Amino acid sequence: MDTIFKGLPFKFDCKPDFGYLTINVPQGEMVKVEAAAMAGMDTNMEMKTKFKGGFQRFLSGESLFINEFTAKNGDAEIQIAPASPGDIDHVYLDNESIFLQNSAFVASGSQIDVQSKWQGFTRGFFSGENFFLIKCSGKGDVWFNSYGGIIPIEVNGSYVVDTGHIVAFTEGLEYSISSVGGYKSLFFSGEGLVCRFTGTGRVWIQTRKLQPFLYWLFPFRPSKK
Amino acid sequence: MDIDVKFPLKPGSTAAEITLRPGQKIIAEGGAMIAMSSNINMTTSTQQKRSGGIIKALGRMISGENFFLNHYVAGDEGGKLWLGTTHVGDMDCKELNGESLVIQGGSYVACSEDVSIDASWQGFKNLISNESMFWVKATGKGTVIFNSFGAIYTIDVDGEHIVDTGHIVAFEEGLSFTLTKAGKSWISSILGGEGLVCKFKGRGKVWIQSHNSSSFGSSLSPKLKPK
Repeated sequence: MDTIFKGLPFKFDCKPDFGYLTINVPQGEMVKVEAAAMAGMDTNMEMKTKFKGGFQRFLSGESLFINEFTAKNGDAEIQIAPASPGDIDHVYLDNESIFLQNSAFVASGSQIDVQSKWQGFTRGFFSGENFFLIKCSGKGDVWFNSYGGIIPIEVNGSYVVDTGHIVAFTEGLEYSISSVGGYKSLFFSGEGLVCRFTGTGRVWIQTRKLQPFLYWLFPFRPSKK
Repeated sequence: MDIDVKFPLKPGSTAAEITLRPGQKIIAEGGAMIAMSSNINMTTSTQQKRSGGIIKALGRMISGENFFLNHYVAGDEGGKLWLGTTHVGDMDCKELNGESLVIQGGSYVACSEDVSIDASWQGFKNLISNESMFWVKATGKGTVIFNSFGAIYTIDVDGEHIVDTGHIVAFEEGLSFTLTKAGKSWISSILGGEGLVCKFKGRGKVWIQSHNSSSFGSSLSPKLKPK
């Protein structure tokens, strides 16, 4: 819990289904916020739009812009609402790195460097995630969100996570795509390919996945006349 | 409880956190696994134990469940298995001791090795009720885990109780139901949007979900791109 005092003061509301973030930014401080995620703020907050990450970020499908909010003439409060219903979590980085699933970035402190990272073709294709991950490194807060609830899992050795359920993981972990069970499982289990994490660190997983929801929604589409 | 299960993040993002004893085996529907210890072994089969096979699997499929089931076996140190569902919603479980539990098709998540899951024929009345037409019946000794759309609440019925057809998650076998109209007249029942409801009779517990997935789907329908 000490992490809260190292970074900026903040609070979460309406967890885990509708996670909503409020950050208290001291005068002169700046926070980076995913474009379009700001829901409300004090009037002495000043917004600047930054082009971040360049072409890779364009490819990664994540919105090209991160907005920088600076508290001018006094402390200011900002409320942030992620796009999808779900959970929100926080980590304080002390000159470390964390990898986030492509759409998981919500906000970070001013000293955090946010980059897109190509995760390799095989992992990009089969992981159920994007070809790009977001790498946050430096010193300060990082806030991230998910679709569904977030569960942190301490990995020591190895752990299996279903494709599409990864929200974030710490730098000490490596992951590869592998299959579980035999050939029958590969095609019929509904699990088939999984991500196998190895090393020591923490992985955050989400309890729901968008894709099955979209499959369920499909029959409700109206038919063309 | 045969399965050591906890349900964190209730009621909207519920997951099942299952701690397996060394060598313990459980069965879960395809696609439910979120994460697990790497020493858990998974195999896929159409059958539970060494009986049933294809015919039972077909029954399950008609009931809106999966043709294939996944069997998870823990290694020598035991392990942890996390299960999730498609929908925003809740999960609950029941310990069976030889009796049966009737579950709405699509709501079954997992069960102990000694619980069998079969298609359950609830008569022609289901064909006109339009929703939850099919049911599965869990019978045996052990734990059964099921899920819902929205939050779950339970009602202990002693006598009679009316539940909207799209809101039933599961009910104990001591209960029987008949389909009936919600209001006094057919016209008010249909115009009131309730249509048919289930009238439970007997003694037992009913698990009810706060939301109805087909109503939600229909409300999104006009905003979706045509096929």
